[in-house]
Amino acid sequence: MKRLAGLPTLRVNSARAVSIEYDGKRFHGVEGDTVATLLYANGTRIFSRSLKYHRPRGLYSLDGQSSNTYVDVDDIPNVCAENTFVGNGMRVEPQNVLGTPEHDWMAFMDKLSWAMPAGFYYTIFHKPARLWPIAVRHIRKTAGLGSLSPDVELRGRFDQIYPAADVCIIGAGPAGMSAALAAAAQKLRVILLESRPWLGGYFDYRTRNHKPGMPLYLRGRQLADQLEQAPNIRIFKHTAVIGCYSNNLITAFQRGSEADCFAERYVQIRAESVVVATGCIERPLLFENNDRPGIMQIGCAHRLARTWGVLAGEQAVFSIGHDLGIEAAIDLHDLGLSIACVADVREDGCDPALPPQLEARNIPFYPGWVAAKAHGRKVLKKVTLTNLSGVCKQQFDCDTLVASAGLTPVTGPLALAGARLEYDAHTGYFLPTGIPQKMHAAGRMLGLEDPTAIELSGRLAGLRAVADCGMAVGATISGVEEELAKLPGPARGSKFVVAPVEGKKTFVCFDEDVTIQNIDQAMRLGFDVTELIKRFTSAGTGPGQGGIAGHNLPLYVALTHRSPDLHPRPTTVRPPLVPTLLATYAGTNHPMSKRTPVHASQVAAGGVMERLQPWQRARRFCADTTARAEIENVRTNVGMLDASTLGKFRIFGPDALKALQRVYVSDMARVSTGRMYYSAMCNEDGCVIDDGVATQIAENDYYFTTSTGRAGETSEWIRYHTRYDRWDFHIINLTDAYGVINLAGPNARKVLEKVVDGAVSNEAFPFLGFREFMVHGAIPVRAMRLGFVGELSFELHVPSSYMQSLWDILEEAGEEFAIWNFGLEAQNTLRLEKGHVILGSESEQRTTLHDIGLGFFWHRDKLEAQTVGAVALKQTENDTSRLKLVGFKMEEPAARAPRDGSPIVAERIRGYVCTARYSYALKEPVGMALVEGYLAKNATRLTIFEDDCKGELMKAKVVPMPFYDPTGKRMRM
Amino acid sequence: MLGRGKRLWSRSKRLKSSYDAVIIGGGLHGLATAYFLATRHGMNHVAVVEKRYIGFGGAGRNTAIVRANQRTQENLPLYKEALELWPVLTQELDFNLMFYNCGNLNLAHSEAALKAMRLQVASAQFHGIDSRLIDPKECKELVPALDVSDRLRYPIYGGMYHPPGGIVRHDAVVWGLASGASQKGVDIIQGVAVTGIGVQGGRITSVETDHGTITTPRVLNAAGAYAAAISCEMLGMRLPISVLTIQAMVTQPLKPILHHVISSGTYHCYANQTLKGEVATGAHMDPWPNYTTQCTAHYIKHQAEALTQLLPCLKGVKFMRAWAGLADMTPDMAPIIDGNDPVRGYYLDCGWGYFGFKSCVVTGKYLADFMASGVCPQILRPFTGRRFEQHRLMGETPALVHYSPDN
Amino acid sequence: MALTITCPICGKRSGYEFRFGGEDKGPPPQAAGLTPAAWCDYVHRNNCVAGVQKEWWCHRQGCGTWFSIYRDTTKNLEVAGPQSEDV
Ligand SMILES: Cc1cc2nc3c(=O)[nH]c(=O)nc-3n(C[C@H](O)[C@H](O)[C@H](O)COP(=O)(O)OP(=O)(O)OC[C@H]3O[C@@H](n4cnc5c(N)ncnc54)[C@H](O)[C@@H]3O)c2cc1C
Ligand SMILES: [Zn+2]
Repeated sequence: MKRLAGLPTLRVNSARAVSIEYDGKRFHGVEGDTVATLLYANGTRIFSRSLKYHRPRGLYSLDGQSSNTYVDVDDIPNVCAENTFVGNGMRVEPQNVLGTPEHDWMAFMDKLSWAMPAGFYYTIFHKPARLWPIAVRHIRKTAGLGSLSPDVELRGRFDQIYPAADVCIIGAGPAGMSAALAAAAQKLRVILLESRPWLGGYFDYRTRNHKPGMPLYLRGRQLADQLEQAPNIRIFKHTAVIGCYSNNLITAFQRGSEADCFAERYVQIRAESVVVATGCIERPLLFENNDRPGIMQIGCAHRLARTWGVLAGEQAVFSIGHDLGIEAAIDLHDLGLSIACVADVREDGCDPALPPQLEARNIPFYPGWVAAKAHGRKVLKKVTLTNLSGVCKQQFDCDTLVASAGLTPVTGPLALAGARLEYDAHTGYFLPTGIPQKMHAAGRMLGLEDPTAIELSGRLAGLRAVADCGMAVGATISGVEEELAKLPGPARGSKFVVAPVEGKKTFVCFDEDVTIQNIDQAMRLGFDVTELIKRFTSAGTGPGQGGIAGHNLPLYVALTHRSPDLHPRPTTVRPPLVPTLLATYAGTNHPMSKRTPVHASQVAAGGVMERLQPWQRARRFCADTTARAEIENVRTNVGMLDASTLGKFRIFGPDALKALQRVYVSDMARVSTGRMYYSAMCNEDGCVIDDGVATQIAENDYYFTTSTGRAGETSEWIRYHTRYDRWDFHIINLTDAYGVINLAGPNARKVLEKVVDGAVSNEAFPFLGFREFMVHGAIPVRAMRLGFVGELSFELHVPSSYMQSLWDILEEAGEEFAIWNFGLEAQNTLRLEKGHVILGSESEQRTTLHDIGLGFFWHRDKLEAQTVGAVALKQTENDTSRLKLVGFKMEEPAARAPRDGSPIVAERIRGYVCTARYSYALKEPVGMALVEGYLAKNATRLTIFEDDCKGELMKAKVVPMPFYDPTGKRMRM
Repeated sequence: MLGRGKRLWSRSKRLKSSYDAVIIGGGLHGLATAYFLATRHGMNHVAVVEKRYIGFGGAGRNTAIVRANQRTQENLPLYKEALELWPVLTQELDFNLMFYNCGNLNLAHSEAALKAMRLQVASAQFHGIDSRLIDPKECKELVPALDVSDRLRYPIYGGMYHPPGGIVRHDAVVWGLASGASQKGVDIIQGVAVTGIGVQGGRITSVETDHGTITTPRVLNAAGAYAAAISCEMLGMRLPISVLTIQAMVTQPLKPILHHVISSGTYHCYANQTLKGEVATGAHMDPWPNYTTQCTAHYIKHQAEALTQLLPCLKGVKFMRAWAGLADMTPDMAPIIDGNDPVRGYYLDCGWGYFGFKSCVVTGKYLADFMASGVCPQILRPFTGRRFEQHRLMGETPALVHYSPDN
Repeated sequence: MALTITCPICGKRSGYEFRFGGEDKGPPPQAAGLTPAAWCDYVHRNNCVAGVQKEWWCHRQGCGTWFSIYRDTTKNLEVAGPQSEDV
């Protein structure tokens, strides 16, 4: 097809050819083509088949209002051909067809539409019941549009930015551009977002004069030039706004050009003030077969020619409800399109200057007429026009029907931000009311049509945004307001809804194949609210969302109700305003985790790393998943564990002790210098949330540890529970400031004494002692003798920057004993053998301190401390029906350990295994379980129900804990 | 039934002056209870009073996932029966509820998560519910799009596969129940809000609405997320509930690619493909009270990050629509069901959080027993709101909840 | 929505930097002699106001302060509190 050349409005570069492969054949176009314009220029009329009826569908709009032109591009489905620029060598495939869009084997579905009234799927397929599972499979196959392969990889980089602005303007048409210039003139930081690849909005393709000698498109480019030169305006072209949230948070995504380093990027803006100048789209005209390929909106036909140099067809009929339609007819006629006639649905007339121009071109004009039916089996061949009473009819041959009921404003951003949409009888628009503060609407979306008024309303909104930023522009604002009042206000709009004849296939929604008959059916069934009709018929729930159905559906419902008090109400607008790739939302998405200071050496030592909350930690260092060698090394020799993830805190100040008394169950007045003190924290329910050790460093100055999981919450926990008290204390989270090495095993002392400057004998540094040492005279170490793993052990806290050095020093010192790492798996078994709990493992949300047998840590006599959880601890202390923690061994020592998490049953579930492992030290499995109180007595039999046990229950018996070294002499060595 | 074009339910706003029972809320639980009162107990002099339109609340906003692999034995039998009721009810209502029995796969991303799942799996098996642990390879076989490599931020350690679960068409449940109840004579009154509850001598006497007063000896508060505010404002009964906004979204429709409901606690994310082909995914809650149903920029981005980690092929798919609803969360993620305590004739069914869809039919059935007889059926007893003062949290969640300040 | 909260120290910041700390119910009741019902009322039960409520927040990803603000739960927006009532 020959393309129009030399038009000043063109946005393509005819000098550079491009080509794509479509349906296995090669097609050529020019640089600047979208997939849709290229295919259209090559004669493609049927782009896809519709969801339900497999009706042929063609190019209807150019901004992706429906899925009519959805195609598969390079294995990515559901790509909208209308706003996807052609890249050389793209592979494009049609979707949802069995065969080709021209010859679709599923086309017979259209004949079955009688069997598919609104909501038909609720009434069939379930009788008999066995039909349904088969039907499901079939329904799934026919549903959906494009197909995706499970291992397809989307190419391209996806980026994200978070700019801030004083004023953010959505839409770079004349109003938005004027707003941007007004704000920029005040030296504010302005961001301008435009979804098309260029600025200009609806001025961009029109040759009508703005002022004598100045056509609209030139005026558009003039404004654009001014903008591009303003240093404080950041322009984002090809950037679609997708979300609009309270406090002026705007989200959008930008499509990258070939020069950009991103395929798409997510843009999130926080602005002081926002101007929405998104203009209008067209309201579809409802008549029979209004979806036939060859039927398109005014802007589509006009921009095809003016922007891309493609004439929509040979012979066109216009059925429109807006002056833009007459203007387009005149312009397209002059560009070479033959026009059979122009029907204007408005009875109250158009701009009187326009009909004479039609007459001058011999184009018949039919005011008060409208398209009633489109003919043609696959593509448009003929159209029947009718007058508004439906009495007179006339047919015209044509291959193009430009059809449009009128305009409708693009209010999505305002609606998302919380504005209400109300029907305005003058414009026929759903106009925003209750627009949130610091947000302004401008331009055509308010019903303005006069170009000067549109620009001025943009300027006014821009100035109001300036005022929101705290600048004194009140006088200027009043001046502009006065000026605007003198210009034409909102124009009267077409309120026409549906052709006055009965038709079978008049589509309210293309994507979901919903006809007005379906709407009638829904209403007869009792669905009277538009929102419910939408759900029942699924009108407006397809890929184009409200783009096609959004305006006509509520109007049609109100019309049908014929009830004067029922105002048309649009359905709720939902984000994203434009379908957005998950890749774009996800952006760069780095995997993040925290590493301890000795991470690298842990990995080098063969550590199998795993994620523990935010951290990476070594589970084990040997191939054996039970970590036997590591366990035995700790029991008989000496091992080293990187325990840096432990929470570490300093709390100091005159009221530090009071704060500790508040959150710890024990009497923290007993915490003293040189000794470690074990205690636990509960929540108000008396349930244990943390345990750790504390010591006093100096007067009113304490150091304490928490479990890894609580490190992040502890400061706020303590402050929360003292928030009414105005106490004077400070708390510092030292978790990342200190690394921790647990040096454990009978040979631990021999290693440590080689490197520290103080005495570490059992007398000088007894069990539960706390000492500060220097290692090699340079590294300050806080050492504590604790017994979590049940052997002689030293927990060494060291500034993070020295952690690796200390590790290396100890490794060297321990070489003669063959010192070795141990990991979490070994630690787990070691502590289990000692009956030591790990919170979250031996406890759950509802487990109290009493339940895990640590009730004795609670000092009931510190009432005045108002200890968190004390009330609940008191109220539950004699409750015998709760789950209690017990130790168990298998009845048959040769049996294997039950799997963690296995329930304990006796007619019903009575508890579960928390942790169970084979104990190499005891040569039999041991475990801990939470069981109902009556099972907690020593020697009681526990029956364990493992998953997949097929009725084979395991038998265990309750035994006292600790299992290993019950008197604890090994850790006191 | 639809073909005949008869109204599915009575026309709105015709209130009688008295009813045997008034149900506040035309949501899932209110409609289900009304249906069972009428069909099982012959109590059809009942009004369901709905402030907006039926299904306005969580009923029309949920992601319709049903399953029976709960954690505790108090919950398991209830959800098991619930799952078995969908096909039965489809026949009974002659309305296709479209139970798509695709099975649920819940992913574990750590040893600890596997252990927690084992308890759940074994407990389910003990109750005769099909549920099993599978390894990453088997996960991949079920869901070929899943990334089971260690490229993930949280690699997959295994999963809990629960074949009897799936999804049900949520709107169909609302409409089917409303239609069934209406046919039996229940009045479904839309566009009328309850504004007060009358009590005399410790008994319910009436219900105030913005369209007049109704006398009644029984009221069921099934107002979903508004139940707690209603209880507090109208009766001075405060409840252990936090109302949070919960969001969900769908992608554009695709040919079948995901054949199960998949979920991951670690990624705060679940996804399934609806019968229409959209990938529906949720559900995040901003952890502070909220009665708005606004979506957040924060969440849709998070969801894309999470989903594209688990299912990398979805990078090339577009989100099409996001929405939000409200979730009434209790401290232990189990509901509150009470009656005649302390006010005779006052029944309460709320706190369902994001579990109130899968449970609605079975709860309605037993609640109808409760309301008709005045005696609480055994299966509902553990859910009394008194459990919080008795220090008996239910244990449905093993971990501390993040929306309560007390953890 | 995009909640912002004004920290008394750091100013207006994104809501996601903060952690919610419950309705402001006043200081905990004296532990001595507290009945289970009264305890539960303070610890677990809420007013669930659909409207403006006073509530606690912590600037978790900032200065760490706990403070209270007024927020309209039906709009999810911070609002000015009632004028102080001291004469
Ligand atoms: C995004 C999302 C996803 C979810 N996903 C799932 C899921 O996958 N599976 C699952 O099981 N659950 C899910 N849920 C939860 C489920 O939807 C709810 O638990 C369920 O809807 C609760 O039912 P209900 O009948 O108690 O309340 P609703 O269904 O909310 O009904 C309550 C009704 O009461 C009305 N009402 C309120 N106040 C008044 C008044 N004063 N007078 C009259 N009427 C009033 C409301 O308008 C509303 O219609 C999800 C929820 C959401 C929001
Ligand atoms: Zn701060």
